Amino acid sequence: MKLNINKFFTVRKVLSFLLLCSIGYSAYSIYYKVKYWGFSVSPKAVTDVWTVDAKISFNALDEKVQVSLAVPNDKDGFKILSEEVVAKGYKVTRDKKNSRIILDASQKSGKQNLYYRLSIYDDAQNTALNSLLPAKIDRPILADEERLQMQKIWEIADSQKGDKVQKAILAINQEMDNPTMSLILPINHTSKEFAEKIIQVLAYKRIPARIARTIKLEEGRKTEKPDIMIEAYLDGHWGLYDLNTAKIGLPKNWVIIQRGGVSLLDVKGGENSTVVFSVLKSVASPLKMAEHRAKANDKLWSYNYSMYTLPVFEQNTLKWLMIFPLAILVVVIMRNIIGVSTMGTFTPMLLAMALVRTGFWPGLICFSVMIALGLIMRAVVAKLNLLLVPRISFVVIFVILLIQVLTVVGYRLNYTIVSSAIFFPIIITAWIIERASITWEEDGAMNTLKEIFFTFITAVVTYFVISNEYVRHVMFAFNELNLVILFVVMLLGTYTGYRLTELLRFAPLIHKDN
Amino acid sequence: MFEWLFNGKKLRENGVLGMNDRNYSVIAKYNKRSLYTLVDDKVKTKKLANSININTPKMIGIIEFQYQVKNLLEIVKGYDTFVIKPAHGSGGKGVLVIKKYDAEHFYSASGDILSFKDIYQHVSNTLSGLFSLGGKYDVALIEEAVNFSDVFKNFSYHGVPDVRVIVYKGFPAMVMMRLATKESGGRANLHQGAVGVGLDVRTGHPLNAVMHNKPILVHPDTKANLMDLRVPFWREHLIIGSLAYDMTGLGYLGADIVLDENRGPMMLEVNARPGLAIQIANGKGLKSRLQEIDETYPSGLSAEERVDFVLNH
Repeated sequence: MKLNINKFFTVRKVLSFLLLCSIGYSAYSIYYKVKYWGFSVSPKAVTDVWTVDAKISFNALDEKVQVSLAVPNDKDGFKILSEEVVAKGYKVTRDKKNSRIILDASQKSGKQNLYYRLSIYDDAQNTALNSLLPAKIDRPILADEERLQMQKIWEIADSQKGDKVQKAILAINQEMDNPTMSLILPINHTSKEFAEKIIQVLAYKRIPARIARTIKLEEGRKTEKPDIMIEAYLDGHWGLYDLNTAKIGLPKNWVIIQRGGVSLLDVKGGENSTVVFSVLKSVASPLKMAEHRAKANDKLWSYNYSMYTLPVFEQNTLKWLMIFPLAILVVVIMRNIIGVSTMGTFTPMLLAMALVRTGFWPGLICFSVMIALGLIMRAVVAKLNLLLVPRISFVVIFVILLIQVLTVVGYRLNYTIVSSAIFFPIIITAWIIERASITWEEDGAMNTLKEIFFTFITAVVTYFVISNEYVRHVMFAFNELNLVILFVVMLLGTYTGYRLTELLRFAPLIHKDN
Repeated sequence: MFEWLFNGKKLRENGVLGMNDRNYSVIAKYNKRSLYTLVDDKVKTKKLANSININTPKMIGIIEFQYQVKNLLEIVKGYDTFVIKPAHGSGGKGVLVIKKYDAEHFYSASGDILSFKDIYQHVSNTLSGLFSLGGKYDVALIEEAVNFSDVFKNFSYHGVPDVRVIVYKGFPAMVMMRLATKESGGRANLHQGAVGVGLDVRTGHPLNAVMHNKPILVHPDTKANLMDLRVPFWREHLIIGSLAYDMTGLGYLGADIVLDENRGPMMLEVNARPGLAIQIANGKGLKSRLQEIDETYPSGLSAEERVDFVLNH
């Protein structure tokens, strides 16, 4: 008599529940790692790290010097990896409110070179600008002639698409050849003049607008002039506009250096000041960037207790270990679901591990040769009728010497196939030889070859699973999946269905009844 | 070519027991691990069997240590034949049958002439665990050789024909006879090429015979018609199997029984994890048989009552 409560808590149900829990936990953990630590499922994913260098040069006038440079604000859609200033003898202060960096020195003379370097990552397209203050503007007082011009421009603009700012930009861009335009803007104008003219045109409609300086992040770029864009205040918020395309928003891989219409660089106590921006791109793996991202997302505490903060040696060891559960799962499936019998439970797994190090074909060929030589040697020794332990010891020592000879010869002759012998586990190799030779004596060559064949097949399947770059990356980066594997393996321990090979083995029992 | 991939449903319908099901639903459930030692050690099994009057080959002695090997001749004094077997062996590994011997020469059942040195070597190998499960240190058991009955003479090529009874909860559930062939090297293991003949548990008459999983009708070497096979003392065979349950407490066991000319059926060994090939030999699924026992057979019967229940049911 069984109680109902026992029915409810069967092993299978409890394990299924735990499996679901582990899947839920892993799903959350993967989401967490991707979102806050920036992990990627692909091992090939890289993070672009942009370094923007600003070199400020000027001639100091032998008096007190103050340099003020507009710098990017990290609230505008990217994260700062590092920021540094190289300015010997200058006191560095940051004006966070206005996004400027201020360098003070008591007295300087001669040519001055100051450097500001910013490394940023995770630069994202950014349509909404941080609101500075809302702005108001009065309609400028214009002469009749100017007013007429403005009206004409707006007549053209009204036939354009987009919001008012886009209309104005498009109108001026498209109608450049129009006599009306050439009157207000010379043909050879700078983009700054162009921007200023648009600001005037917008002011006529009482739309506040001002110049913003941006830099397009392009590898190897070097420029004295940041790209000019316009920010305009429309419908209660600031928007950034491209001067050529009139597109709204900051495109991907652009960074705003300065906003708010103020100057880019102010130098007091110096003359002939210039600032040259140069852009460099480098890449880093998401694993390397994880600490910065965790910090930026305020999740450093969880990161600090992950295995990714360990020293490289420990990490590599764990990376190697994290693939084992999956290999074990393959072995369980091969034995209990497929139903092949192998020499030793985890021998195929260890063989597969060795193949990962040697490469597939070199390892397979080398190992087959080792087994063959071992079997021949073992057959010779069988005639001596040695006691069991000394005989197995003989095989182990023979395998060690064989590995040594093959490795040295392979290395000298530059045959990696031969020298890969060193990666095979000695005891496992010796065990296979001993086991095979006993099976050979007792069950015949056919059964031995069958067993070796299935051991190899299982090893090869395991190899193809664990040698996959994606699989290895995922099992390391999202190691909580091992918990899922744990419960899958346990649940497979309750599988009572037929093994695949049994469908064939028991086939005579079908034809009997039909 | 691949239609066998879809055999699962039909096998289930025919009540065929798979390996996973056997391990999970039968062995893990009815065979307590602590009971395994009773059957893994043949010396223990023999003593246990003798204590409840199950016939086994008479034990002559045990060799536990290497230095005792030189006393072998003294140990077997007075016996014409003897068998050396590892106490923890399985599947007939390491079993050496001596038919005739003098001070210098030992004549084995398979026709080899061995010197005392060879015997010494064999016992050494046994003691160091060469033939035992898991390679553990072992002892060599020396017992009287079975005088095989002539009734099976035409059905076996050399070797020992034996009856394997699968006993479930004390009830004989399925029976087969295993006959050695030339290919099996005189051994009675099906995977080595021995013939398996499924026997009807009620009548003892052959149902079906297989070799290498394929049905056959005549013995490949002796050409005897396998359907003519008759096992004398059928009820006694079943009683030995049923008593093996009382003796070990194993809910699912396989008892290997041989027929001695003078002493009748004798138990050779008990297996706590008997294989599933018996289903193929019988042409029947074991699971449906186990279910039948589970659902309709009474409990609380003695060994003989259980056998009679099976015979009359």
